[in-house]
Amino acid sequence: MPWSLYLALKQLFPSGKRFPFFTAISVLGVMLGVALLIVSISVMGGFGREIKRMIVDTQGDVQVRARGYLTNPDEVLAVLETAPDVIGVSPFAEGVVMLEHNSKPAFPALQGVDIDRINDVIPLDDYIRTGSLDLLDDDSVILSSRLAYSIGARIGSFVEVYSPLLLEKMKADEVMLPRELEVVGIMEIGHQSLDSSLVLVTIRRMQELYGLGEGVHGFSLKIEEGVDPDMAARRLNTILPDVAPHAFARSWMDSNQDFLFVVQLEKNMIFFLLIFIIVVAAFSVTSSLLIAVVRKTREIGLLGAMGGKPRDVAMCFCWQALIIGMTGTIGGVGLGYFVLHFRNDIIATFTKLTGSEEALVRFYEFSNLPAHLSDQDFWLIVGLAITISTLAGILPAWRAARLQPVEALRSE
Amino acid sequence: MSDVILQAEGLSKSFLSGERTLEVLRGVDLSVEAGQSVSICGESGSGKSTLLHALAGLDAIDEGELLWDGSTDTGAERRGRFLGMVFQSFYLIPELTAFDNILMAARMLGRVGKPERDRAASLLDRVGLVERADHVPAKLSGGERQRVAVARALMNQPRLILADEPTGNLDEHTGEAVIALLLELSQETQTALVLVTHNKGHALKTDRQVLMQEGRLIDSNSGH
Repeated sequence: MPWSLYLALKQLFPSGKRFPFFTAISVLGVMLGVALLIVSISVMGGFGREIKRMIVDTQGDVQVRARGYLTNPDEVLAVLETAPDVIGVSPFAEGVVMLEHNSKPAFPALQGVDIDRINDVIPLDDYIRTGSLDLLDDDSVILSSRLAYSIGARIGSFVEVYSPLLLEKMKADEVMLPRELEVVGIMEIGHQSLDSSLVLVTIRRMQELYGLGEGVHGFSLKIEEGVDPDMAARRLNTILPDVAPHAFARSWMDSNQDFLFVVQLEKNMIFFLLIFIIVVAAFSVTSSLLIAVVRKTREIGLLGAMGGKPRDVAMCFCWQALIIGMTGTIGGVGLGYFVLHFRNDIIATFTKLTGSEEALVRFYEFSNLPAHLSDQDFWLIVGLAITISTLAGILPAWRAARLQPVEALRSE
Repeated sequence: MSDVILQAEGLSKSFLSGERTLEVLRGVDLSVEAGQSVSICGESGSGKSTLLHALAGLDAIDEGELLWDGSTDTGAERRGRFLGMVFQSFYLIPELTAFDNILMAARMLGRVGKPERDRAASLLDRVGLVERADHVPAKLSGGERQRVAVARALMNQPRLILADEPTGNLDEHTGEAVIALLLELSQETQTALVLVTHNKGHALKTDRQVLMQEGRLIDSNSGH
């Protein structure tokens, strides 16, 4: 071990003494900055991942859509099923309807799905809280949880559905009765907007409600694990023109790029702002080490008198900054993960104390605080924290190296 | 033929004080032989400490030549091997134990194996501080600290020890003991000693006494 490292360790953790105050404060500053970054970026990453999960779980990895609707779904389905990388295909038809129960109206998005195929693409079964997807037929409906709650519907209730086509016909003085569908399931995806507005029916019912005949609005596709959805969509677009000239495949990232851009931008902004906490902590490290240089002027002189080179004296302070940075970063990672582990308990306690549980779910749309830290984000935080802290030692190191041993010894 | 290990010829050093130039060293000549002890006495401000720092290669000289063992290499790397220093204020590293302070001298040369540890332990024993090995300087008395500093100066088996008023912060009795130890050890190890002191009694115990007066050295033995 070089003597500069040995002395740096001894100065930070002296023999026979407790953790020195200066060291503790410096380490604590870096630790808090790192912990805050870990928690914030994890929560932002969690939100991003939840959003991705919800998009993929409601749209599939790739969607093929036509301008208007596809009139030859069987042909397109046959092509998509044999396309490379595609492991599941399910047609869909969608649109807004008016839904009424006990004279309470709602205007949800109705999704017509092929119940024999949908689970190959979207794990809908996982989100059914009561009832069953198997019970869904042309005369029944599955409601999202908050929608069911808001109109007072439950399993066995009947809801009346008015489609735009039905309303058009009514305007033309035709006597049309709304479709009466039985609620056979309640689903909950975990996202407030989806859980307040999504209704599932069979694709046949949707085709009938929107007058599509045999047509569908598009197909949701599941892509093989590990294959880039953008790449898969590009490949599909080379074969689609043969069967559906007006259809176009888009990955979930492509379809939601504006939204994902905003999510990423928010995460980057939070990262940028919070990194300043580490910069401030680094200034505290610089200040502590500068004080140490002043306090230890004679010792620095002594090191010179004992044959120490200015470069080694400087290294002693650089090592100290590096050790503070590493200790603070390790502590910060530990503290960050500790807070993340108990995040929902912390939020629950906080919202209970402030009476804001409902507001949290309403505005943040998640029932639990999600958290996910990618390896890339983790190493970026660790790397930046250690680098910034180490840079904090450069000024004190330079000051120490510039001290002439004889001047330092005379400082008495 | 005598074995001269320190040769200073015509050392001159001046400082600027405002618009005035203070000549602190005026053509100092000094040679020290291996194992010889030399004391430098003189009034405060006569240039004793400046001379010592110049001899240690710590202070750049304006004129003259300094040779260590016949070589002009007086750089930091060689300093750690060639000489040991003892200061009035001990200058122990407060975070290190007595043992580690002594070993630090070897550590700075990149040598911390068993032979060095054994030597540090034997030096600690020689200065009578075996039981204080694990004590940090704050828990040692002034005399004990200076004994640790003496042991540290001898750690790398230097050819020369430069001691700058080593008893200045000690009471008379302790000071006597430290000087006796310093002379004894330098004799035992055949290490030359240059001792800067105010105390004529201590000076008389060395092989040779020189007087520093207005930046010049007067060798009391030769009458110059």
